Amino acid sequence: MLMISPRMAAGMQDKQYTPSLLNFFIYNPKFGPREGEEEKKILFYHPSEVEKNEKIRNVGLCEAIVQFTRTFCPSKPAKSLHTQKNRQFFFEPEENFWIVMVVRNPMVEKPNKEGKPPTVEYQEEEILDTVYGAVLQQCYSMYKLFNGTFGRAMEAGGVELLIQKLEKFFYRYLQTLHLHSCDLLDVFGGISFFPLDKMTYLKIQSFVNRVEESLRLIKYTAFLYNDQLIWSGLEQEDMRILYKYLTTSLFPRHSEPELAGRDSPLRPEVAGNLLHYGRFLTGPSNLKDPEAKFRFPRIFVNTGDGYEELHLIVYKAMSAAVCFMISASVELSREFCEQLDSLVGPQLTLLASDICEQYNINRRISGPDKEPQFKFIYFNHMNLAEKSTIHMRKTASVSLTSVHPDLMKILGDINCDFARVDEDEEIIVKAMTDYWVVGKKSDQRELYVILNQKNANLIEVNEEVKRLCATQFNNIFFLD
Amino acid sequence: MEADVHNKSEALENDSLAPVDRLRRLRADSPTPGLVEGTEPGAGQDSAMFVHAQSFEDLTADGEQEEEVQEGGDGSERAPEVEKPRSEGEESEETQGQRGEQEREQAEEEEEEEVQSGGGRVKEEDVNSEAWRSHRKHVFVLSEAGKPIYSRYGTEEALSSTMGVMMALVSFVEAGKNIIRSIHAEGYKVVFLRKSPLVLVGVSRTRQSERELTRELLYIYYQIISLLTLTQLNHVFQIKQNYDLRRLLAGTEHLTDNLLRLLDRDPGLLLSAVTCLPLAGSLRDVISSSLQAAKAKSLVFSILLAGSRLVTLVRKKDQYLHHMDLHLLFNLVGSSSTFREGEGWTPVCLPKFNTAGFFHAHISYLEPASDLCLILVSTDLEDFFNLSDCKRRFLERLRRRSAYQALQEALQAPSYPVSQVGIPELRHFVYKSKSSGLYTSPEIPMPYQSEEEQERLMGLYKYLHSRMHHPTRPLRSIYRCAEKENLLALVTSGFELYLCFSPLGTKALAVSAINKLLKWIRKEEDRLFILSPQTY
Repeated sequence: MLMISPRMAAGMQDKQYTPSLLNFFIYNPKFGPREGEEEKKILFYHPSEVEKNEKIRNVGLCEAIVQFTRTFCPSKPAKSLHTQKNRQFFFEPEENFWIVMVVRNPMVEKPNKEGKPPTVEYQEEEILDTVYGAVLQQCYSMYKLFNGTFGRAMEAGGVELLIQKLEKFFYRYLQTLHLHSCDLLDVFGGISFFPLDKMTYLKIQSFVNRVEESLRLIKYTAFLYNDQLIWSGLEQEDMRILYKYLTTSLFPRHSEPELAGRDSPLRPEVAGNLLHYGRFLTGPSNLKDPEAKFRFPRIFVNTGDGYEELHLIVYKAMSAAVCFMISASVELSREFCEQLDSLVGPQLTLLASDICEQYNINRRISGPDKEPQFKFIYFNHMNLAEKSTIHMRKTASVSLTSVHPDLMKILGDINCDFARVDEDEEIIVKAMTDYWVVGKKSDQRELYVILNQKNANLIEVNEEVKRLCATQFNNIFFLD
Repeated sequence: MEADVHNKSEALENDSLAPVDRLRRLRADSPTPGLVEGTEPGAGQDSAMFVHAQSFEDLTADGEQEEEVQEGGDGSERAPEVEKPRSEGEESEETQGQRGEQEREQAEEEEEEEVQSGGGRVKEEDVNSEAWRSHRKHVFVLSEAGKPIYSRYGTEEALSSTMGVMMALVSFVEAGKNIIRSIHAEGYKVVFLRKSPLVLVGVSRTRQSERELTRELLYIYYQIISLLTLTQLNHVFQIKQNYDLRRLLAGTEHLTDNLLRLLDRDPGLLLSAVTCLPLAGSLRDVISSSLQAAKAKSLVFSILLAGSRLVTLVRKKDQYLHHMDLHLLFNLVGSSSTFREGEGWTPVCLPKFNTAGFFHAHISYLEPASDLCLILVSTDLEDFFNLSDCKRRFLERLRRRSAYQALQEALQAPSYPVSQVGIPELRHFVYKSKSSGLYTSPEIPMPYQSEEEQERLMGLYKYLHSRMHHPTRPLRSIYRCAEKENLLALVTSGFELYLCFSPLGTKALAVSAINKLLKWIRKEEDRLFILSPQTY
C-alpha cells in the first residue's frame, strides 16, 4: 500500500495519512472487446507493478460503473465513485478514452493494544469531488500541451506510439502531483495577473509588437512578471495550461540564480554578459557554449480546427519572463537565438526594472501593508483572472495556505453550491471555530473571503466585505 | 480482513457521535445566551417524550445498540415473542388472519388510491423511456441475491436486470474489502445502502447530499422492518437466499410510496422531530390526562394524531418512543383509509425500539370523517378488546370535560399564518426545540403552495440542514441570498432555526428577526408545543 507523509497527530499517537494517489490508469474499452483480451484495453497503468489481473479488475469496475449510470442518463455517465476507502474519478477526454484517478481517503491509524493490528479509520467526507475532478482534467490538458491529443498519437504511430507517449509523460508527471495540497485554486485553474498602470502596460505591449515585428518567425508571445501574467497572444485555454506549467514547474526550477548573489557561481552566463540579465529558461543555458544545443520543448496549441505544434522559447530577465512561440516546422538555429538574445535581452532588462519601479511607487501610494483582518480568493470565469491572499506560495511541490484546511474545504463547499445553480448568489457562513466565510457569485465572478472577526455579526461582516470590494477590486485587475 | 471491516464500522459510529458532543459543547456559548438545551422555547418542563436524538444520529447509530439500552432498562416491557415467518405456518392463525385481512384491505386501498390520484403508482412505465429516467428520485430495494423487492417507478420485473447490476457492483467492491457508497454524475447521484439482508439504492436528481439520501434509504429500510421485524427478515433469507420478499410485502408498496412522499415534503423527517397541533395548553392538558387515565396493563404508548400532527402522546414510564418510529406510525395511518372504517388491529414493529418483535396497535379515528386518529400501542396480542375499551373511556372522559368540542374547533384552524409573527418579508420558518424533539412551522405561504414549489422549499431546508450538520465541518449559521429567496439557518445547543425571507429581506432584518421570532415562540410555546408530557 502506498502511504505517504504520515504525520503525528495530537493525543494517543494516532497516525494521520493525507489523501494519496492509489492508481492512475488510462484505457479504451474498444481495444480489447473480446474475453481474454482485456489487457489490451489498458494503455497506461500506475503503479505499473500492479498484477495484471488486478489491473483488469479495476478497469472492469470502471467500465461497469460508467455503463450502469447510462441506465439513468445515457449522455452523462459517472464522474466519480465514492467508496469507504477511496474515491475514483472518471474522465473521458476523447471518445472512448478514459482516464481514471483513484485517490485514497485520508485516514487515521489508531494503535491498539499489543499484538492487535492498528484500527484504521477512513475520513470519507474530506475529499472534494470538484477539486480532484479538476486535477484529473488538468493531467490530460498537460499531456495534450506537450503531446497533442491521444488521437494524434494514434494516427501517427498507432497504439504502440500512444502507449509510449503516455508512459513517458505520466511516469514523470504523476510524481509531481501533490494531492494533499489541492484546493479550490485547482478548480478554478486561473491565471494570476500582474497589477499595472496604463503607461507601463503600453510599454510592454509596444515591446511585444517590436519584437514580433523584428523576428517574424514568432507566432505568439506571452509576457509575465513575478510569475504573474501581463500579456498573452494565445487562446485563453492554452494560456491557462501553459501558465500552470510555467508557474508550477518551469519557473520554480529556475528561480535559484536570481536569489543567489551576483558573484555566485549559479549565475554563470551573467558574468560573460554585462549588457543585460537576459537568459533562456528553455533551450541553451549558455549561448557562448560551442556545444550548446538549440532544442526547445514542443507544445500544442489550439487553432480552431486543429492543433498547431510550436517551439516554446522562454526567456527571462530579472523578474520578467517572455514566452516566444514559433512554428515547429521551422528549425531553430544558433543565429536566431543570438539574434533574439541581443534584441530582447537589453530591452527586457530595462523593462523589468521599469515595472519594478512602477510597482513600488504604486505600492507606496496605496499605503503600507497592514495585516488585514481578512483573506480572500477571487476568480473571474471570463478572463480566468485569479487572485488569492490565502496562498502564500504555490509551486510544483507545495501549496502553502495560511488558513486551516477545514476552512479551505468550506470554501470548496460554497463553490459547489454556486456551481449548482446558474444565478447570482451570496452565502455567508459562520464556522464552528467562529471564523466567518463569505462567498459571492455575481455575473462570472466569484469572491471568497475569510474573516477572522469572531465577535462580529452578520451585518458587520457584510460591511467588511463591502469595504474589501471597494478597496481591493477597483484597479487590481487591469485586464478585467 | 472481514473483521477489519467490522471494526471499522464500530469506529465510525463512535466517530460520528464525537463531533456531536463537540458540537454541543461549542454551541453552548451561542450568540443567544440563556438558550442552552432544555431552556429554549418549546422545551418540555418535565422529561422529554422522545428518545434523545441529535440530527443525523439515526444515520449511523444502529438500531441494535439502542435496543440493548431499552431492554436493559426494563426487560419486562419487551415486545412479545418474535413471530416466525409466515411461510413456516407457525404463526398463530388469529394474527395471520388479521394480517391477511389487513393486507387485503391495503391492497384494495391501493387500487382505490390509484383511481383517485391517477398518478399514484405508475407501475407500467417503460423503464427505457426518458420519462422514467427523469424522475426526481428513484428508490430500489433488493435482496443480497439481487432479487427485486421494491421500485418506486416501473415494475420490479422490468428492472430485475438493473437491480442485478446494482448487486453486482456492491459485491464487486466488497470483494476488494471495501464498501461502495455512491456514484456521482452531472445532475444526479446514485447512493447505495447495505443493510443486510437488504440492499437499498437511491438515484436522485435533487440537490440533496449523499448523507441525506442515505438517511432516506435508512427510513425505507426501517419501514420494511416495521412490517416484518428484522428477525423475520433474516430468517426468511437464511432459509432461502433467493427468496422473493415481495410475497411477504405484497400490498404494502403504497406505504413505501407514501413514506417517500413524506420524506420529500415533511420537515419533521428531516429534523428528526414532530410537530404538534396548535392547542391551548389547558385543553391539551385535559386531553393528555384523559388519555393518561384510559390506561391498560399492556399499553405502552397512546398517541392522538390530527393528520400528521401530534395532539398528545402518553407513554409508559421509562419507555421512550423514537421519533423515527413515530413517523413510521404516522405513515402507516396516513397511507391507508381503512382505519377510518372501524377499529384497526395490526401488528407493527417499531424498529428503533426493538427490531426483533411486534407490538400490536389499535388504530381508529375518533369519528369516521374526523382527522383525529388514536393509536394505542400494546405488547399483548390478545388486547384488542381492552384497548377498544380504553378508547371508549378516553372519549367519555373527553366529552364529560367538554374537551371534545374544543378539540374539534381547534381542528378547524389547524395552523397559523406566518404573518402572526409580525416579521416583514418573512415567508416561512421551521423551529425545532432540541430537548423536546418538537418543531413548529407556519402554513406554507403563497409562492410555495404548489406541490413542486413546496418540495423546492423543502429542498432548500434540506440543503441548509446538510451544510449545518456536516459531519466534519458543521456550521453555526448560514445565510444565503439568491434570486428567489433569502435563507438563514442557525443551530445552537438548544434549538435549530431555518428562516425563509423574500428576496427583499435584508441582512439587518434577518438578524433582528431571530430574536423577534424566538420571543414570539416563547410567548406561544404553550400552544405550539407539548410542555408537560404525561406517562401512565
